[in-house]
Amino acid sequence: MTASGKFITVENLSIGYDRRPVLSGISLSIERGNFIGLLGTNGSGKSTLIKTLLGIIPPVAGKILFRSEDGRPPVFGYVPQRETLDPVFLLSSFEVVVMGTCGRVGPGRRVNREERDWAEHCLAETGAADLGRKRFSQLSGGQRQRVLIARALATRPDFLLLDEPTAGIDAAAVQGIMELLQRLHEKRLTLLMVNHDLATVRKAVKEVIWLHQGKVLHGPVTELLSRQKIEELMELELH
Amino acid sequence: METLREILDPQFILRNSVYVSLLIGFACPLVGVYLVVRRLIFMGVALPQISSAGIAFAFSLPALGLMGHEHAAHFEGDQQLLAFAGALSFTLVAILFLAFLERRGRGLVEGRIGTAYVLAGAWSILLLAKNPIGERGLLELLRGEIIAVSNVDLWLTLGAFAGVVTTLLVFQKEFLLVSFDHDMAVTLKKNILFWDCLLFLLIGVTISMAVLSVGPLVAFGFLLIPPLIAHQFARNMTQFALLASVIGGLSALTGFALAYYWDYPVGPTDVALLGVVYFFSFIGKKFFRPSMPAGAA
Repeated sequence: MTASGKFITVENLSIGYDRRPVLSGISLSIERGNFIGLLGTNGSGKSTLIKTLLGIIPPVAGKILFRSEDGRPPVFGYVPQRETLDPVFLLSSFEVVVMGTCGRVGPGRRVNREERDWAEHCLAETGAADLGRKRFSQLSGGQRQRVLIARALATRPDFLLLDEPTAGIDAAAVQGIMELLQRLHEKRLTLLMVNHDLATVRKAVKEVIWLHQGKVLHGPVTELLSRQKIEELMELELH
Repeated sequence: METLREILDPQFILRNSVYVSLLIGFACPLVGVYLVVRRLIFMGVALPQISSAGIAFAFSLPALGLMGHEHAAHFEGDQQLLAFAGALSFTLVAILFLAFLERRGRGLVEGRIGTAYVLAGAWSILLLAKNPIGERGLLELLRGEIIAVSNVDLWLTLGAFAGVVTTLLVFQKEFLLVSFDHDMAVTLKKNILFWDCLLFLLIGVTISMAVLSVGPLVAFGFLLIPPLIAHQFARNMTQFALLASVIGGLSALTGFALAYYWDYPVGPTDVALLGVVYFFSFIGKKFFRPSMPAGAA
């Protein structure tokens, strides 16, 4: 891969809250069109890293450099942990997806027909076309995840970041979600996915970022998720 | 029915009070919808009380010697304006401070709001303890009497609420986005601070105007009970806001008619009526729509 393929370069980044670092000395780069798994134990800083890349949390120190193909600022598609969205809002799945288009619609302006059609298209793309009129808060975990991925796609993203998209959903739904992500990856979309399930990550991604005991390990999946490396990192013997 | 016809007559002596009641009934629930969906209901209790403390502060200025003799002489004329300024400034400072602390996510939110509520109540009384005229004004406010409404007050209320409702309608998309998913709004490069502050400003203006006209009890009642009733039946956010507003407006009109007919104070009658509507709507929903299958909405 050439240097021009680098989409994100992170230099000596410290991440955390209220100027207190959770993780320091992060330096890595992400190639355009890559599919990366972000691993780590609870509290290791996975969600904090994603939120820092997205600009939701300011970095404690260091730099994040983005390089888009046409020089414009990159567009992010973000799939949060679905429990963070409050069911008190009376929103249909379609209305949730339409929110993804709001970055292109000026303040006080209505979302036009073209953007609404695009939202419909994104729902169809994620296999959720029939969920559009249903209330978002009443969907199952897997259905909600598809709608949230559709919302992220509605932003027309350069980079899709997913925070535990398969947590708490049944095996069939997990397989459906992972097949969907594979299809998006084949379309050259750059993806970063937080996931706890090593087997799922191993099958899907090309590279892994592993946050382990305050260190950031970054490498190809074949290397970082090899039996020998996992035994070494987890200090256990696999049988 | 006869009473309703009488109070809607343009020659009715208390017509301005009817109009102000209706304005509050229609406008407060539209703002209250955001308090409900942002889980700021406790703030909806505390803010009218804090707004009252602002009014008490304004009433107490002459007694505290914080106004010159010239200004004190014209105090009666400026009283309404000062009271509004006091209510609005106290409400805005409180809402921004409480929202800031909530966003930082430290400590007990309910504890802070409860403390703000009780302190505001105590200071309202203390500020006017040595000022009988101001104390009487505040007591009338707390009782929720809506009797003496001048034409100027009516137009001011109409203008303020028209501004609030128009802004809420025009920027509904932005307010909904930052309320539903703050993180998503950041990734879409929305100016979260601006939209939050604008929404809080609208909430502050509405509460200040409502408290000034009908007192904290009634303001709280119209901010929260109509949205809570509407939330049970609405299918989307637009229906939610419209239904809450219609319930608020109709309850304000019916409450005024009942209070006039029975010679009760208007404000408490409105709130009691809203309570009855809430109770029967809750029972009605349980009876007529016992359960909905997932995704049926």
